[in-house]
Amino acid sequence: MTFRVPLVARLGVLVVATTLFYTYVGQMVPQKQVLPPVEIEIRKDIGTAEMVSLGREIADGKGLCFTCHTIGKKGALRFPDLEGVASRARTREPGLSEVEYLAHSMYEPDAYIVQGFNPGMPVINKPPIGLTDDEILCVIAYLQTLGGTPTVTLQTKHRWNAGAPGGGAAAAGGAPAAPVAAGTAPVGGAKP
Amino acid sequence: MRSPRARIALALLAGVLALAALGRIVAWLVSNEYRMPERVTEGRADETPRARGLADEKAADEKKAMETPYQEPEYRRFPVIGSRTAVWVAAQLHLLFAAFVLAVPLFAFIIEAIGWKTGDKRYDRLAYEFTRLMSVSFSLTATFGAALTFLLIILYPKFTTYLMDVFSPTFLPYVLLFFFEAFFLYTYYYGWGKFHPLVHLGLGLGLNVVGTCIMVIANAWLTFMTSPAGVSEKGAVISVWAAVHNYTWMPINIHRFIANIAFGGSVAAAYAAFKFLQATSDEERAHYDWMGYIGNFVAIAGFLPLPFAGYWLAKEIYAFSQTLGLTMMGGAFSWLFIIQAVLIGNLFLAVNYYLWLGMGRIEGAQHFQRLIKYLLIGIAVCFMIWATPRSIIATVSEVRAMGGSAHPMLGYLGVMSAKNTAVNILILTTFMSFLLYRRTGKVATVAWKRAGNIAQLAIFGLASANVIFLGIYGYFVEATVRIGLSVPQVLSVLIAMVSITVIDIFLFRGARMDAEVRWGRIPAIAQYVLIFIAVTFTWLMGLMGYVRSGLRQHWHVYGVMRDRSVDAYTPTLGDATIIVSWTVIVFFLLIGFVFWLASLHDKKDWEAGARPGEAAP
Repeated sequence: MTFRVPLVARLGVLVVATTLFYTYVGQMVPQKQVLPPVEIEIRKDIGTAEMVSLGREIADGKGLCFTCHTIGKKGALRFPDLEGVASRARTREPGLSEVEYLAHSMYEPDAYIVQGFNPGMPVINKPPIGLTDDEILCVIAYLQTLGGTPTVTLQTKHRWNAGAPGGGAAAAGGAPAAPVAAGTAPVGGAKP
Repeated sequence: MRSPRARIALALLAGVLALAALGRIVAWLVSNEYRMPERVTEGRADETPRARGLADEKAADEKKAMETPYQEPEYRRFPVIGSRTAVWVAAQLHLLFAAFVLAVPLFAFIIEAIGWKTGDKRYDRLAYEFTRLMSVSFSLTATFGAALTFLLIILYPKFTTYLMDVFSPTFLPYVLLFFFEAFFLYTYYYGWGKFHPLVHLGLGLGLNVVGTCIMVIANAWLTFMTSPAGVSEKGAVISVWAAVHNYTWMPINIHRFIANIAFGGSVAAAYAAFKFLQATSDEERAHYDWMGYIGNFVAIAGFLPLPFAGYWLAKEIYAFSQTLGLTMMGGAFSWLFIIQAVLIGNLFLAVNYYLWLGMGRIEGAQHFQRLIKYLLIGIAVCFMIWATPRSIIATVSEVRAMGGSAHPMLGYLGVMSAKNTAVNILILTTFMSFLLYRRTGKVATVAWKRAGNIAQLAIFGLASANVIFLGIYGYFVEATVRIGLSVPQVLSVLIAMVSITVIDIFLFRGARMDAEVRWGRIPAIAQYVLIFIAVTFTWLMGLMGYVRSGLRQHWHVYGVMRDRSVDAYTPTLGDATIIVSWTVIVFFLLIGFVFWLASLHDKKDWEAGARPGEAAP
């Protein structure tokens, strides 16, 4: 007398084995749990060096910068690589200082598109990213370290954080920039 | 009363009754004894400081409770598994049954229409058999839908209130449509053979139209969560229609419509496989083999255009937000698409294997069977390219040796140019495999048959060459150009499939049959393949449902309403696949129950007195 496994049991084994196989494949890929971005408290008295460190943290976390941007990668990229961005920022848009250009690219990202790339960067001070003005200044401080020297402070004003139109607050000279009074000559204007 | 056992039992009963009577008398006496009257003093004798303190506390609590205004909690917590998982499982099970309930009427209607047009009763029987699976599934869909709604209201009250506020004008039509769905479904099912065929087909059409409308409304709610529109930055409603007609609404409508057909076909084929394996006669085997073939055909027909609908959906996600698109393809979820590649690759292999096994039913199919072998090799190569990741998990020393996380050679296969090419060739090859199966045993009789065959081969060759050329070209151009290359790749495959099919229909019109299809003459392994396809499809739906929803990460409504609950994290892919697997197993337990219920229809009625296995008189 031969024992035959009941059909229901055979089918059950097939369903469970197939499911287990796919579960196993799921365990083989890199595992990363993504937590909601941590709100970083920015004290008003911090200096530029601390801002750089916080800026790096924000760029990596809440700012989601490295979802799209790379540092030091060459080849066919979908978004500009950030290596040496500070040095390029000084001359990229006529009339805009390094800080102004970096701020412009975050507050109005579609106003100037780097050649060879498509528009796609979100407005950084609006949801879903929604960085505050101070957080953006910290990110600018960090970006200035990529090919330059950080100069911004939390007191730095530019046209997008209620500073003067055209700003120029973050003097490219290196000394911490003082807030600039409204009425400074506008720089930039309409962009391509 | 001579039996000693009966006497003992009677004595025991009398003893119990006597004890009960005694207890009753004692209780009466105790309750009626004389007691000294209690005199309560003005300050109550038992009011100790502790009792006073407790009374004061109670009064203070009551007062506080009375004064506290009602405040809706933002979240509640589901025990053990957490709110996120609870909603996830309920939503997934609801969607799986809903997909089945929406898809089956669609092909039941088409099969019934073919039966009516051709006069072939087999089609009518087949359509009815498909429909039989639906009534229980419909109840399960509604049950899981209700469970999902209650879970959302209980666990995420604020978010649910917001969603209801935005979409309030859509809920009444939804409920009405649900009522009509029940009306059409049960009239269609119970009215089988009771009405004029055209009236019955009209009921089937009504069922499909209403079902599709229900899906389209529900899709508006869930796509709004991913790509909100029609609301201000702070979430205030500006336009309900804009909220409905958001970026991903139409792509999801199309994608789900096609995916439901593929999924429904595969589950119906699994049912046929189950019945085939249970069958005891050749006639039954022939019927269920044919049913499995039709179910699988429906699944393939839905499956082949599905990646194109997927492209469109992905494109709209990018158009809505590049960040969201990149989170999907290049961020936390990028490795999920490697798992997807394994699943889809398995589906393609299994579908082609089934077709290859199916050729055994037809005499004189050896010539085509030899060709299928080469197609399978092509499919396996494409599968391997598609499943090659860009970055390889490696140790630090291995990464140094490779000069980066991408392998110096295999890394080139991990980019979109290679993957798009592989998936397009995969689709084209499976299509050709199906075409070969379709023409097995037939001989074209038209005068232009040679030219027709050459034209078909030329189209296939040109489309393949174009897809491969564009894939290679993509390595040498900027990202902006490369992204656009997927469109002509997809178009060439679509044009090839449509034009080859059209030629084939005319080529084999009035064809001579030189071999008979021997339904039922197929190895049993083919039935297990059909069940494997259904499980893989279900798992794939679970996985892609997760990415569609999980993509929002810590947002209930992306960029508008943030998830601040403890469940606002995005689980690892490993954890996600475990939940998907549990959902799939629960679904198959339930669908097994549906199959069993449907099979009761064929069983003989039970009658008292009939022994098991013995037919009732």
